[in-house]
Amino acid sequence: MRLFRSNLRKLVRRPATFVTFLLLAGLVLLIMVAVTAASRQSTDTQSEIASQLFLTFPGAWSLVLSVVLGIGGLLALVYGAAIAGSEWGWGTLKAAVARGESRSRYTLTGYAAVVVMLWAVLLVTYAIGIVAAVAGASIAGISLSGIWDQAALRQLPDLFARAALGVAMEAALGFAIATVARSQLAGIGAGIGIYFAEGIAGIFVPGIIKWFPFAAASALINDASPGGGGAAGTTGRLDPGTAVFATLAWLIGALVVSALWTERAEIGG
Amino acid sequence: MIESSGAALVTRGLAKRYGKRVALDGLDLRVPAGVVYGFLGPNGAGKTTTMRILTGLVHADAGSVELLGKPFGRRDRRRLFDVGALIESPSFYPFLSGRENLRALAAAGAPVPATRVDEVLALVNLRERASDKVSGYSLGMKQRLGIAAALLGDPKLLLLDEPANGLDPAGIVGMRDTLRALAAEGRTVLVSSHILSEVEQLADVVGIVAHGRLVREGPVERLLREGGTVRVRVAPEEIAAAAAALERAAGPDDVSVDSTPGGDWLVVRFDPSHAAELNRALVAAGVYASRIEAGATLESLFLEVTGSTPDVGAGGGAGGGDGASPAVPS
Repeated sequence: MRLFRSNLRKLVRRPATFVTFLLLAGLVLLIMVAVTAASRQSTDTQSEIASQLFLTFPGAWSLVLSVVLGIGGLLALVYGAAIAGSEWGWGTLKAAVARGESRSRYTLTGYAAVVVMLWAVLLVTYAIGIVAAVAGASIAGISLSGIWDQAALRQLPDLFARAALGVAMEAALGFAIATVARSQLAGIGAGIGIYFAEGIAGIFVPGIIKWFPFAAASALINDASPGGGGAAGTTGRLDPGTAVFATLAWLIGALVVSALWTERAEIGG
Repeated sequence: MIESSGAALVTRGLAKRYGKRVALDGLDLRVPAGVVYGFLGPNGAGKTTTMRILTGLVHADAGSVELLGKPFGRRDRRRLFDVGALIESPSFYPFLSGRENLRALAAAGAPVPATRVDEVLALVNLRERASDKVSGYSLGMKQRLGIAAALLGDPKLLLLDEPANGLDPAGIVGMRDTLRALAAEGRTVLVSSHILSEVEQLADVVGIVAHGRLVREGPVERLLREGGTVRVRVAPEEIAAAAAALERAAGPDDVSVDSTPGGDWLVVRFDPSHAAELNRALVAAGVYASRIEAGATLESLFLEVTGSTPDVGAGGGAGGGDGASPAVPS
């Protein structure tokens, strides 16, 4: 527990945490501003309807979460890779191992702290997104009567749990890639590369790619995710129940790779 | 077979390869408990690889290690709870302060009392800057913080790889005093260093490795005495006369000049226990020595047993480097 607390304290002080939060909150706000503007000014009816969907409750509760998860997924991967890679690059893993710390415990505890920090970041960003949606709806003259819809509100914990799982898996993926590469930059670069490669491949072979990590994560929430660049669109999507199992498989796989790789690695530098 | 009783650290037949390169080739080391052990060797001799194996960072291909009297292998990481280490460059989070870094490190491995962080910061004279971010530290300050990190767990065995790197003279003296005090308390300190004069002042016992093997080991005084040389310093204008007198006493090929930044020494290959005979020969020739020292220097011993030659300035003729010159001025 003291190692977990220590890791959390490190992350709170770490510039990468603030950069991740500001980037995510900034992008979500930007999207909400764009959606609000489109809902008022668009000459294209289809676009106007799509924009208004974002600002109309109770649907906005899950659509905003989809946006946060879509953008947050990539940032979670980058953040996970940055934290894991720096342990190798700065030699702090070496210092901990030389003190007799268990390699896999150190790695998994570090990952757990990253996930808790990301959940906090996502929660705050989601709150910002909802406030922006309410403000956007008021500006666009859309009724807020559905905001306290009981059925939608009852669904929120389940949606949050799914989003949390998706983010945890994507962070684990970044963590694993950076651990294998032993480098922040290599981890971030490879992670982003996989994200876009998956998105492009999903156009051609959606039946296969729907099982891949980003596509599975975006299918966790049963709404089309405009922010999910790695997802294969709405064609060839896993159903949310299957997506949970696929995401869990990727999560466990990534953590096993991280732990085993660290356990067996020769640590130099 | 290496005897392990009374030893803080023993390695037997330690071997390690990186691809085709042999880093360690059957290293047998025995570090007695309660001493400062100077671990010496040229670049690439296997010192850092040994340190990495001793701290569980890499695993040996063959051989065994005993730490503080108990076997140390892949599954024995808890042995390191009693070991403090500074391997290569110190490792810290640049965005945290010195104190926060030590607290973060203290959360890993053996539990450390909360007050210990400030104790070790005071020990390395870093308390005033402990709240500053490490990214703003000088090389010497990072090194001191690295030594503080190694001392965090109040270790019985301390492994320090080039601890004097980047330290100013006051820092070196402070480090030497700290390490000597730790040895006086019964702890064992293994120091790898390239600063031979520093090791000569600091270490009780030295082990010299070359090509992954131990080539010489023993108490510093004994090794230097066994060097079989006597060093004589006379006034510069009397070097030629002194050299002639010493050649008559020791033999024509047994006298050379060792040029050091502090002046020239005449180095005589001669039994150090009979050094008085050389003094008598000098006096008979009307030359008075300002200093006579029995035995080799650690530097000359190091160069001899490792087969190393001075790399820089070696082509400049007599007096061009720190090594002994074969030429005697006539």
